[in-house]
Amino acid sequence: MGIIHNFKTQFYICLKMRNLNHYILKFTATVLFCFISLFAGAQLPKLIFSPQWLPQAQFAGYYIAKERGFYKEAGIDVEIVHPTTSLQVTAMLKSGKADVISLFLTTAMTCKNQGLDIVNIGQISQHSAILIVTKKSSGISELKQLNGKKIGVWKSGFDELPKALIAEKNLKVEWVPILSTVNLFMLDGIDAMTVMSYNEYDQIINSGLDENELNVFPLADLGYDIPEDGLYCLRSTYEKKKSELNKFLISTLKGWQYTTENKDSALNIVLQTMQLAHVPANKAHQDWMLGKTLELINPGHKTVKPGELLETDFMNAATIINKRDKSSSTYLFTDFYKKPIE
Amino acid sequence: MKNRTLAATIIRSVLLFCIGIFAVIFSIYYYYTRETIKETTRENAIFLANNTVNQIEQVLNPIEKIPDIIARMMESSFLTEDSLIPFLQSILKNNKTIFASAIAYEPSYFPEKGLYYAPYVFRQGDSISTTSLGGENYEYFFMDWYQIPKMTNSSYWSEPYFDEGGANILMTTYSTPFYTYKNGVRTFSGVVTIDVSLEFLKQIMSKLKILDTGYAFLISRNGVIITHPNQKYVMNESIFSIAKANNQPGMRSVGRNMVQGKSNFASADFKSKFKSGKLWINYISLPSSHWSIGVIYPESEMFASLRKINIILMLLVVFGLSLLSVFITRIINNITKPLKLLASSARLIASGNFNVKLPEIKTHDEMEELCDSFIYMQKELAEYIVTLKDTTSAKEKIESELRIAREIQMAMIPHIFPPFPDLPQIDVFAVLKSAKEVGGDLYDFFVIDGDKFCFAIGDVSGKGVPASLFMAVTRTLVRSISDKETSPSVIVTSLNKSLSDNNESSMFVTFFLGVLDLKTGLLKYCNAGHNPPVIIHGNGEVTMFEKTKYIPVGLFEDFDYQEISLQLEDGDKIFLYTDGVSEAENVDNKLFGDDTLMNIVSQNAKATPRDLIHRMEEEIATHVNGFTQSDDITMMTIVYDGKHNRS
Repeated sequence: MGIIHNFKTQFYICLKMRNLNHYILKFTATVLFCFISLFAGAQLPKLIFSPQWLPQAQFAGYYIAKERGFYKEAGIDVEIVHPTTSLQVTAMLKSGKADVISLFLTTAMTCKNQGLDIVNIGQISQHSAILIVTKKSSGISELKQLNGKKIGVWKSGFDELPKALIAEKNLKVEWVPILSTVNLFMLDGIDAMTVMSYNEYDQIINSGLDENELNVFPLADLGYDIPEDGLYCLRSTYEKKKSELNKFLISTLKGWQYTTENKDSALNIVLQTMQLAHVPANKAHQDWMLGKTLELINPGHKTVKPGELLETDFMNAATIINKRDKSSSTYLFTDFYKKPIE
Repeated sequence: MKNRTLAATIIRSVLLFCIGIFAVIFSIYYYYTRETIKETTRENAIFLANNTVNQIEQVLNPIEKIPDIIARMMESSFLTEDSLIPFLQSILKNNKTIFASAIAYEPSYFPEKGLYYAPYVFRQGDSISTTSLGGENYEYFFMDWYQIPKMTNSSYWSEPYFDEGGANILMTTYSTPFYTYKNGVRTFSGVVTIDVSLEFLKQIMSKLKILDTGYAFLISRNGVIITHPNQKYVMNESIFSIAKANNQPGMRSVGRNMVQGKSNFASADFKSKFKSGKLWINYISLPSSHWSIGVIYPESEMFASLRKINIILMLLVVFGLSLLSVFITRIINNITKPLKLLASSARLIASGNFNVKLPEIKTHDEMEELCDSFIYMQKELAEYIVTLKDTTSAKEKIESELRIAREIQMAMIPHIFPPFPDLPQIDVFAVLKSAKEVGGDLYDFFVIDGDKFCFAIGDVSGKGVPASLFMAVTRTLVRSISDKETSPSVIVTSLNKSLSDNNESSMFVTFFLGVLDLKTGLLKYCNAGHNPPVIIHGNGEVTMFEKTKYIPVGLFEDFDYQEISLQLEDGDKIFLYTDGVSEAENVDNKLFGDDTLMNIVSQNAKATPRDLIHRMEEEIATHVNGFTQSDDITMMTIVYDGKHNRS
């Protein structure tokens, strides 16, 4: 099909076709690897981990943990399998194609509420990266000026927090679902846009708008500092593989610690991973993303140990979801958050 | 110090001046040529960019018209739903540049067709296929190509993308909103799209020839690189991400101007990793898609011709200045050659060779004048030297004669001391120092009749030869007269008479003559206008004779001179002198003076005549302190020792 539906996907697929030969090689390599694994690494219990998006710096810590052998040192064999646009991580979890996935906290809570029996085994990000941005040229410099305006929001989710914020401020806005680009915002098709600090915000900057031309409303500063990326598995998996999951969490945190200390080499590994997966790799953007992701992992003002989920954050998230859904569902922290080994 | 040649000095000055002038001229020339090249390049760059824009627009403009016309047809209900697909197929058949076309409706526009309705006609190989877009995995309502025209109510050229068909073809989609009337209200109803391959862009852009290694690139509305000689950038990077990665704020600034649709030709305020060196950039926006073309001009190539000309110019200047140096050297050498000859001739003349032949110069200029002057000088010098030789020999002759005259004069006065060893009653010492070769002073003494000691001292008016002759006459006359007479007054009167007679030159002599009777110590004397002598008594008392009232001899023939008598005691001394002593001058014109004379005599009252006179000489020498002696100096001291008579 000639019509674009998602720029990244489009590009991704075409690159796939372009590199058919490479795939044959990769296939051969994978078969060989399987044989080697069967004989050499058969003893190591295996875990398949799926981050929630295509390869990028947001997942640097996992790549590092694998690349530096932290998982193997801990005694587990971890394979990182990224989702595709047609196969979401939750579907991979359900079908058993993944043992552990990463998800937004609010997304995970919603999924659990909708019947997917998952548990959080570790909370990586401790802060919200969501920003609402407006162009200064639009004249919107205060939140209340958003009343009656059009705000772009991800069609795929992550909309709970901005919607809760707007509801709390009693503003009436028109939410415009956006797939992935910032073009509608750039062309003034919408007045404001929700963006991730590590991703779309930098896309706007890389499309030629200067930071001083934007008004930014960080949700974290407006009382919505809800954690984002966490590690999830099915309750059944949790019951069976507590020890492996514990090792996975500890090695992952080690991977992130290493990333913090070795940002340049981590960035190179991210770029290599992206190139191997034939995803367009823009170093400047990935550098920005890595910096912002590490800021989100740093507990900052929160008194929380790395990898732990705060009950207060969980309860705040529950309130926000209920407010959005206009429901009064009960969310049990102890049922949701399970340390692999208590 | 090393000798500098005139040629070197002139060449250095002229070269420095020429280089200075050249530097100024060159700077002005360089500035204006550079400006001209800049302006020409700018014009060419604008022409090239406009030309490229036109080529691209020639493809894109007709494409824009198709969806616009379809949209209007939809709005006016000219196209029915049944005729949509055949219509789109016919469009593809008739427009080879179009890859695909779709008419995408709003959700559930036709309720019987479900949520999605978007007939899509596309090329598949050589044939044209048809399908319908939309579904759970392809919610086109949220795609940029649909959403942006809908939200902005205007047509939209999508950001370029790679064809999903896998042919690695760069595509773009032009979409325009269409409206229909629902219940009489004009309502947004969907979007008409045309997909176009951008391969033609690559061809147009790659054909652009910019200097030797300059290049052109194309960026989208978001700054994404669409075409670039560095394939790694294409669709991977935007001008902003490259600027950020390389920390080039200047590049970002240019990128912002480009995406804002501005155009300019300017020196690039950034460095490129792809193309090193200083760069110039021209950028211009495409009116249809708002994409922007950037053209990079390496400065080194832009001004290569100027640099080449500069090198040639420099070589020419060096060559020209070298020629000029040679030329100046030759001219100066030609001019200075006679000077050198003259200089060596002048040296020969200076060494005494007055007959040396001077170079012949016929240049009819200052050099010839100089040579003529030299010839004249040579002639004058030769003549002068001849005259000088004659004069010198004449002078030498005179000097020799004067020397002889002096010897004769000195021989005329007694100069053996003590003069009378057999006369113990008397002791005499005298000196005469002439100011010139010969002088006019005189002294004399002799004994008359065995017991009369006659002594005289005199000073002729004037100096030199006439005075010495007059002195010789005076002395001869005194000796001659005193042969017959012993009275001083008679002797002086007789002398005056003889001298005054036929005294054409009106010369005269101050004269003192005394006759001492050695037996009695009685001194008779006559003083004709001479300085009064000093008497030193045996007891040390010193007195000066009375000043005389008689005029010098030789003035009036009949003047009557009288004599005075004075009784000397044992040990009395008489010190006689001429005015050369009392009037001896130093450099300050201060005279020696009678007082000084008297003091010295007093201090040396007991000294022998020789010692007294030597002492006086020393004092005079101290007083004049080397100043030239202007008058003859004569001193005489006589001691009377009467006790020898009694023994």
